[in-house]
Amino acid sequence: MSDALPAAPEAPPRTLASRISRERSARFGLITIATVVLLAGAAPIVAAITGHGPTDQYPAEALSEAGVPVGPNGDFWLGADGNGRDVLVRALYGARVSLLVGIPATTIAAVLGTAIGVVSGYFGGALDRVLSQVTDIVLSFPFVVTALSLVALNLGADGSPRISPVLLVIVVIALFAWTYVARLTRGLTLELRHRPFVEAAITLGASHRRIILREILPSVAPAVIIYWAVQLPTNIVAEATLSFLGIGVQAPTPSWGNMIADAQSTSLYQVQPWFLVVPAVGLFLTVLGFNALSSGVRNVLDPAR
Amino acid sequence: MRAFLLRRAGRALVTVFVVLIATFGLTRIAYRNPAASLAARNDNQQVIEGITRALRLDEPWYLQLWHYLFRGPDIQGAPMGLFHAPPALGYSFRRQQPVTDLILSKISATASLALGALVIWILVSILFGVLAARRPGSLTDRVLGGFSYVGLSLPTFLTGILLSYFLFFTLSTYGVRWFPSSGYVPLTEDPFEWARHLLLPWATIALAEIGIFQRVVRAGMLDVLSADFIRTARAKGIPEWRVHFDHALSAALNPLITLGGLELAVVFGGAIVTERIFGIDGVGRLAIDSALTGDYPVVIGTTLFASIVFILANFAVDVVTRLRDPNLRAAEALV
Repeated sequence: MSDALPAAPEAPPRTLASRISRERSARFGLITIATVVLLAGAAPIVAAITGHGPTDQYPAEALSEAGVPVGPNGDFWLGADGNGRDVLVRALYGARVSLLVGIPATTIAAVLGTAIGVVSGYFGGALDRVLSQVTDIVLSFPFVVTALSLVALNLGADGSPRISPVLLVIVVIALFAWTYVARLTRGLTLELRHRPFVEAAITLGASHRRIILREILPSVAPAVIIYWAVQLPTNIVAEATLSFLGIGVQAPTPSWGNMIADAQSTSLYQVQPWFLVVPAVGLFLTVLGFNALSSGVRNVLDPAR
Repeated sequence: MRAFLLRRAGRALVTVFVVLIATFGLTRIAYRNPAASLAARNDNQQVIEGITRALRLDEPWYLQLWHYLFRGPDIQGAPMGLFHAPPALGYSFRRQQPVTDLILSKISATASLALGALVIWILVSILFGVLAARRPGSLTDRVLGGFSYVGLSLPTFLTGILLSYFLFFTLSTYGVRWFPSSGYVPLTEDPFEWARHLLLPWATIALAEIGIFQRVVRAGMLDVLSADFIRTARAKGIPEWRVHFDHALSAALNPLITLGGLELAVVFGGAIVTERIFGIDGVGRLAIDSALTGDYPVVIGTTLFASIVFILANFAVDVVTRLRDPNLRAAEALV
């Protein structure tokens, strides 16, 4: 019997993971991100080997008499910045800040946005109108100026921040980013609401809670996960932009954004480009890696595009 | 169409109103002791008290809001009151000017920046997107795809620094002074200098947007090119370039319009980073400078400006999309 059948075409790789790892841009993204994560993890090790902490200043060894920082040498592997600090060590700690702000902010936004979007799309009616209006309102706030007001709000009576600036940046980014997730999941839920399997569950008398958790959420989840990966690089850039403008992660804590701002504000980078180039390349490669990964994953899951 | 417009207008008004109340509350809580921060550094207690009285800072917040919304007492001859003709947004003590005048005086720089960048990024994106969609997977497609990744992954502030380093600093060390590093010349003063001063800022904004829009055009084209009406057009013997740029493109344009409106609104509401790097005195710089110095009437004004621009852009996008939709157009004709 079986030998009468024509030969089956070569089966596509079975598991999702292997399909993703075969996609070229996804593979590039994965390797880049893995490298960034490893380097961020190695920050204290590099600091121990070089003997330079991320905020230690070495004006005697690292600056010329005119105040120009040294380029890469045996002591300062990727040179020093205008304050005589080790650029490599600072850039590695900066990678940690990028990931430690970007990942939680994006995750909070995804969870909050999904909750609001699904509830809004599922129940519809007045609740949906109110939640959609709230989404519109948040979207129409200008990001940077509102972030600045929130930073001012965070200052206690004595001028010191009430919650840590890093935590505040996470909150600010999440506060804006959930809206996009909410719009996406609301649309998906509206569509799912009238699918046979959801209507069957309603007919069977399942509770709203059960329908949302067991029927709708699992169908919405893949889109949310893809969107998480799409939003992460955007949010990493948002953190860097806020820090660049001086309202994100505060000096002396290193972040790629405030390192680039340091380099730009002193114009010393025109003489000694290394301390601009290192954080810039770090930021660019990280964002590029996440963009490549997310678009690779989309290619696998939605080959029509 | 009319019911749709009215519904949208109602929602837009509610949004503006809530943004106003929220910003008012936020700034009033966030900026402690505003009178002192608004006064010049060496002003005495008397001036600070004067500012406090003028802005009614000694009254409860709901009365302050009342004065802000409806015609309160004039400050330095400038009327207050959003529901006043013409609407007035209060007075900036720090800049010694009514907020409305301040914002209006910065709009031409911001509009030149945003609209010029929009024209560049839409044209380049359409060209690149259509070229890339012609043969998916070809060398052109891959090169353009790589370009879009780079544009997408370069933060604006980095693009700005790089462009001003290579095209201003490096070129001028070789004596080539094509691009000025900063400043803004009004269009009415000298159109050539206007464009010359804006080229680098336009490129900075456009590069990031092209990264996104080129992909949107490409995806839209790929969707449309397999449709029946394209096969019909080809069968009729219409030249291939017209099939692409005329038939397919106009059908693939909807997501471009939607996204274009939103992104334009964001840039228009304050291209803070670009304006800062290139020293353009626009609304974005006004907004961030005021927020940094605690000039809260200007913060409220610029926030309101940005959100109104955003809402208007959304509104325009909805109307244009509806007008372009052939199905809806047919339905309207029947009514």
